[in-house]
Amino acid sequence: MPINLQPDSRVLIHGIDNPLALAAISRMQIYGTNIVGIIIAGKGGQQLGDLPVFDLVEQAQAALGPIDTSLIFVPAYEVLDAALEAIAANIPQLVIVTRGVPPLDTIRLLRQARITDTLILGSGSAGIIIPDRLLLGIYQPQLFRPGKVAIISRNQSLTAEIASELNQANFGQSIVIHIGSDPLVGSSCRLWLEWLQSDPLTAAIVLVGDICWDSEAATAAYLLAQKGKPVVAYLAGIHASTPHPLTDAAIVLSHTLSKPIHHADTIQQRIETYQRAKISVAKKIGQIPHLLKKLGSKA
Amino acid sequence: MDLLEYQAKELFREVGIPVLPSQRIDRPTDLKALRIPYPVVLKSQVSVGNRGKAGGIRFVENTIDAIAAARTIFNLPISGEYPQVLLAEAKYNTSQEFYLAIVIDRLACRPVLLGSSDGGMNINTMLDRIEQVVVYDEFSSFYARRLALKMGLQGDLMLAVSEIIEKMYLLMQSQDLDLVEINPVGVDRNGEVMALDGKISVNHHAVGRHPNLQPWRVVDNVRNRLRTLSPLFTDVGNISILCSGNGLALAMLDSIAQGGGKVAQCIVVDPACGEEMQLALDRLGIYNQDLVESSTLDVLLVNLVGSETDSFQQIIQYLPDYQNLTIVWRVLANDFDRLAGLLPLSIKLVTNFDRAISQTLAIAKD
Repeated sequence: MPINLQPDSRVLIHGIDNPLALAAISRMQIYGTNIVGIIIAGKGGQQLGDLPVFDLVEQAQAALGPIDTSLIFVPAYEVLDAALEAIAANIPQLVIVTRGVPPLDTIRLLRQARITDTLILGSGSAGIIIPDRLLLGIYQPQLFRPGKVAIISRNQSLTAEIASELNQANFGQSIVIHIGSDPLVGSSCRLWLEWLQSDPLTAAIVLVGDICWDSEAATAAYLLAQKGKPVVAYLAGIHASTPHPLTDAAIVLSHTLSKPIHHADTIQQRIETYQRAKISVAKKIGQIPHLLKKLGSKA
Repeated sequence: MDLLEYQAKELFREVGIPVLPSQRIDRPTDLKALRIPYPVVLKSQVSVGNRGKAGGIRFVENTIDAIAAARTIFNLPISGEYPQVLLAEAKYNTSQEFYLAIVIDRLACRPVLLGSSDGGMNINTMLDRIEQVVVYDEFSSFYARRLALKMGLQGDLMLAVSEIIEKMYLLMQSQDLDLVEINPVGVDRNGEVMALDGKISVNHHAVGRHPNLQPWRVVDNVRNRLRTLSPLFTDVGNISILCSGNGLALAMLDSIAQGGGKVAQCIVVDPACGEEMQLALDRLGIYNQDLVESSTLDVLLVNLVGSETDSFQQIIQYLPDYQNLTIVWRVLANDFDRLAGLLPLSIKLVTNFDRAISQTLAIAKD
């Protein structure tokens, strides 16, 4: 799947229902993101600021030419429709910022995206930032500095905290990828790890939070480390319980059977998955820069 | 949203999954107008498991026994939960019991059919024999037959069970379910199948688009939306946490626990939502001086880094100024300059995560 994150790539905004959308649009424009138009059904033909508004993605495509990425901000129950519309118009990359998309909608969307080889980030994604080059989504760019450390995360607030820690240790970021906070997401941690192998800007990777705990992703991380791009993971939640732990089928099942598996158990299992793949796990946030240095990161 | 058994069975009936004749009982005297012939089973309608072992399921032979048993069940809390409703159901003699369920596998991003030829109460043998079928593409009946065959069923029974699985799938799809489970599916001597107990979880994000489920919905106001994370070990702590994201909350809970501190409460808010902020402070029990004085609370650790807010002025107005409560507020360096002169002495600004934790711990241990 080709991934286009060029600074001049052409971006469409789909929906402004999310209260974050308008602030995010102006932030992206100030940052230099090449937003070409907005889709708001029923408002076609109008202008929003200096941007033309269309009823349909295909109309925008016809008027503006090919589009690289659609950023989706429509309400959760309309995400499937907006995403299928973008796929039908051959837009190759979708960033779904909206949170709380019903899982069965996501399953349907991912089946279609597999057929068309469409890249889906999210749902519930804060987007991607390549500091000083590209801002796609709702991240606040002042939190990040250019550098050589890639961050893959599914926690927006924790990412900001870790970027701040890296900045204080003079580790800037090559890219920050938020794969989405919803239980089901499109592009996986593994896919991005594989992409980072050949990303010339990235010299090391930090994995944040509850991601990449399956053995395939751990293997991808292991391969990266073998190729001289060290991977450091930070997992939170060993000393806490959450009301809705993220679960896979086996854990759902065990809850069902009144044999609950504690969240901490699963975090512990995830740490063990990392350790089996020889990935360094930071015990606290402040340890992340030290581990990067120790692993001889050229970042 | 977890449905109660009688609600799940109403949905089963609608899609044609066989269930026994049953009647909802709101008070013991309802049993005088019972339309099902005795013997019947009375079942406590609570959302927690293990009702049988806790005494929430009773067999009765006549009206007098039934009313007495119903009184007992209504007054029997199961894991702290009293039933609002009982279900009276015909008795069924099973010769075999199976387990069936459909869940969503988060890693595969696909629904998974689960089945065991050993259903009922014996969880361990059931788990040993659990079979899975992942539904990779559009659902079709063959997926259901594949599971039934893997469970070791044959002939008519295989077809009858796969028909139930197919209907469970339709229900899952039409109602946005995270989980649909029948445990047990009973089979009698004639080979008739019956859903004897049912569990359904509706996806909480999707429940809003199902008008038929609204009457069963628990009111979802801001108060319910507010996420509270609890420390794993529930000691009485003297540190409370207010922060802007789940991941951040977990990181702070971990760091404080590692440093030997004890957390009383940890609340996740959207700082841009004034209503949520107010509720959070209410829940932390720090909206007036008297409460703070009588509580064990010594430190409030605030971390709203990365959240969508340019209005730190707004947040300041929510943070109280009490003599015996110190607030440690972790901010980014550029916010520090803006805020430093504006704050009362009880609020300490810190520009680094680990330092914020260590200051909090130092104050808490003082």
